[in-house]
Amino acid sequence: MPEKTIDHGRLEIKCFHIDDVDFGEKNEVDTHGKLRVCKDMLQKLAEEKSEFIDHIDLQVIQPDDHDRFTNTIMDFIPISTKVLGAIGTGVTYTLTGVYFMLTGVDTEGIQAHEFGSSEGNLQEQVIFDRPSTPKTGDVIISFDVTMKAGMSEERRGCYAAHEVCDKFIQEFRNQMKHFNANDCTEKHVYHDVERPGRKKIVIIRQVAGQGAMYDMYLFPDEPSGAIGGKSIIDMGNMPVIVTPNEYRDGILRSMQ
Amino acid sequence: MGIGPSTKETSLHHFQDPLLEVVSDDTDVDLMGIIIVGTPDDNVDKIRVGTRAAIMADCMRADGALISADGWGNSDVDFTNTCEQLGRRGICVAGLHFSGRTAQFVVTNDYLGNIIDTNKSEEGTETTVLGENNMTKLDCRKALVRLKMDMKKHDRGRGTE
Repeated sequence: MPEKTIDHGRLEIKCFHIDDVDFGEKNEVDTHGKLRVCKDMLQKLAEEKSEFIDHIDLQVIQPDDHDRFTNTIMDFIPISTKVLGAIGTGVTYTLTGVYFMLTGVDTEGIQAHEFGSSEGNLQEQVIFDRPSTPKTGDVIISFDVTMKAGMSEERRGCYAAHEVCDKFIQEFRNQMKHFNANDCTEKHVYHDVERPGRKKIVIIRQVAGQGAMYDMYLFPDEPSGAIGGKSIIDMGNMPVIVTPNEYRDGILRSMQ
Repeated sequence: MGIGPSTKETSLHHFQDPLLEVVSDDTDVDLMGIIIVGTPDDNVDKIRVGTRAAIMADCMRADGALISADGWGNSDVDFTNTCEQLGRRGICVAGLHFSGRTAQFVVTNDYLGNIIDTNKSEEGTETTVLGENNMTKLDCRKALVRLKMDMKKHDRGRGTE
């Protein structure tokens, strides 16, 4: 007899694989594996946050091009967007094969990090195929922010870097929202299942909560996004509970 | 001490988290939710937030908790206290923590026996290489097995048929 389970919710994540990433005349992404990035909007993004940001650079790093310098890696970010429902429910579209890499330094050359900087040669400073890192064959879009002097060591400076990167990614998210669902390359359906009679367990994630590059954002507007998020520091570092589907749908944005 | 590149958990990590995957794939356990708790600066706050997390788990009537940390050093005060607070409430504890050679717990207690070391570096140090000392699926499976064995030994008399 099948075991009795109770279904508390359903989340669908549809993946669209990207294998052709390059510079183009504008930011665009399609369902045939093509993504183009354009530097045009970077100056405006930097000017909007001119109190914190000096300038922004963008590079497309192909899988065979890891022998190159990188500033310290603040984050690897998946490109995902909600198409239906709130985070943890409904439908999410995400891209595979390409990820954003946010890096940060200030005009004095001080890297944006907490305990130890990963600046150096990319192929030596990253172990690929780990949970925190892309796969060896993935394309990396390097979003390299140079902050104003001293800002790489302040929460507001680091947040500004995350915010402008998020605004840039939103350009792709807005296009992805109109993708035809049937064009997806993978589909994953997750049910939040209760198993009565089984041992009840919780996962406890202890996360950073002390300051610049030692922070965690929750509840952003978009999956793995920064904008709209609440800092665990501002919430007094008090515990909050999320469902498994909220967690796997990108309800956390790492700010460490 | 704090969070170095080798233990850092990026947004991508949380999106493809191996711990959640391993636990939710196991039909022997009933995963209720994920508690996110911060690591404050102040010592009184450190004890407070971890204790609240343990009380939250107790109110949920948890039989066991799998705990992980994304750093080491002063955050061990939070980590070890949370383990102790869970254990004292009769909740079995297992988890994941980077220790290696340089990051052994700065404080200890009787509830840390099921914590798996996620160190992967030869030197057992913070190597500043991103992802190097991240938890892997294998680490997570080990932690879950330890938790399940512990829950078998210390049955709270609830959650079973």
